[in-house]
Amino acid sequence: MNLIEVYIHEVTRRLPEKSRADIALELRSTIEDTLPDEYSEEDVKTVLEKLGNPAALASRYRDQPMHLIGPRYFDVYVSLLKMILPIAAVIALISMFAEYFISYSGEESIVNVVLTILGKGIAMIIEVGIQVFFWLTLTFAIIERTDKGIDQVPLSSSLKKWTADDLKNIAYIPKKKAISKCEVFGSLMWTAIWASLYFYADHLMGIYTNSGEGLEFVIPALNQEVLLRYWPIVIVIIALEIGLALYKLFKGQWTTKMAIVNTVLELFATLAFIVILTNPNLMNQEFITYMSDLFTTTTKQFEIWFIGGVIIIFILTAALNIFDGFRKDRIH
Amino acid sequence: MSTLLNSLTTELRRGTLTLAVLSQLRTPQYGYSLVQLLESSGINIDQSTLYPLLRRLEKQELVTSSWDTSESRPRKYYVLSEFGLEIFLQLREEWISNSKMLYGLLKGDGEDELD
Repeated sequence: MNLIEVYIHEVTRRLPEKSRADIALELRSTIEDTLPDEYSEEDVKTVLEKLGNPAALASRYRDQPMHLIGPRYFDVYVSLLKMILPIAAVIALISMFAEYFISYSGEESIVNVVLTILGKGIAMIIEVGIQVFFWLTLTFAIIERTDKGIDQVPLSSSLKKWTADDLKNIAYIPKKKAISKCEVFGSLMWTAIWASLYFYADHLMGIYTNSGEGLEFVIPALNQEVLLRYWPIVIVIIALEIGLALYKLFKGQWTTKMAIVNTVLELFATLAFIVILTNPNLMNQEFITYMSDLFTTTTKQFEIWFIGGVIIIFILTAALNIFDGFRKDRIH
Repeated sequence: MSTLLNSLTTELRRGTLTLAVLSQLRTPQYGYSLVQLLESSGINIDQSTLYPLLRRLEKQELVTSSWDTSESRPRKYYVLSEFGLEIFLQLREEWISNSKMLYGLLKGDGEDELD
């Protein structure tokens, strides 16, 4: 086997067609120049090893990077990836939820619903993540190879050379005052959870028993018709909560105005839920009987204890939220 | 030599290679003859760096090339173009003034150490 020919082929096959013949000829002549007149295979090996890995030699000839994304674009690439990944994941999740609930027939048990959504959600996030990663990387790898800009200065996020003026576009927010995207998405998620609990209370909240084939829903805790009488107020609260979450996302930090809006919303929501909870017909009689049997108290006692407990929890969390808003606003 | 020192030395040398190669191309040279010329002056250049470098210089129109097929083995000769000569002379000036400055810095350093 002719090692020299194989080596030359290994180099030239990585090069553009038009320069192959010339480079092959030159390489052969210089390799032969380097070898003594009578040479052994060992000599050839020494010479070829000195020339090094054919892939590396070819890349030097090509004058093309041996990386996908170089220092010029790396920072822009990473920041775009960080920005797009969560947005794409959230959009995918929301559309999945919407699709699921539109086609929801109301027959599946709640545990199954939760498990299906959880499984589908994780699969969806992984799939979207891979897609975003692939297409973004591909785009940048192509840009890296087509951009003939000679200087390799890293670019700023505006795709131009960095200047001191770029600093003016950066909003400086102290860490403790900042509202993370997680927090915003968390509160949106919480709104979605309690809203579905409200509208599907007769399917979701109540007593479950283990019938052997997973959990089975037996007694709803609340009277759905009584609950649904309050729907206009609930819709207003949902709209306000979504509005506040978007406002937080937009501002990125706590302000006095935001803390006040937050207070008004919390007070309004707490008041509305106290009104709903104190409606004497709200609780399902069957549920009260079942629970008072369970805790061996009278039905009246259970009702007071239960409603009172829920109201206290509501007031406490609302107070905590209001306080937290003002505390974060105070930080400088 | 430690790897760090090794990589720093390589980095220092990298810029000088173009200048060294250009300086030897006032007369036509082929790949191997250039290696020998440089080695006789004590400059060790990696062949895998030299051959692609020659092609790049040609692409930048600093050198021109021609095949000599009159001998038993065909050889590609490279020689400085007019433009290449111009650039080489300017680079040489740059290098000499740079080395003088650096020498001044390094000499100062040495004296500090001796004190």
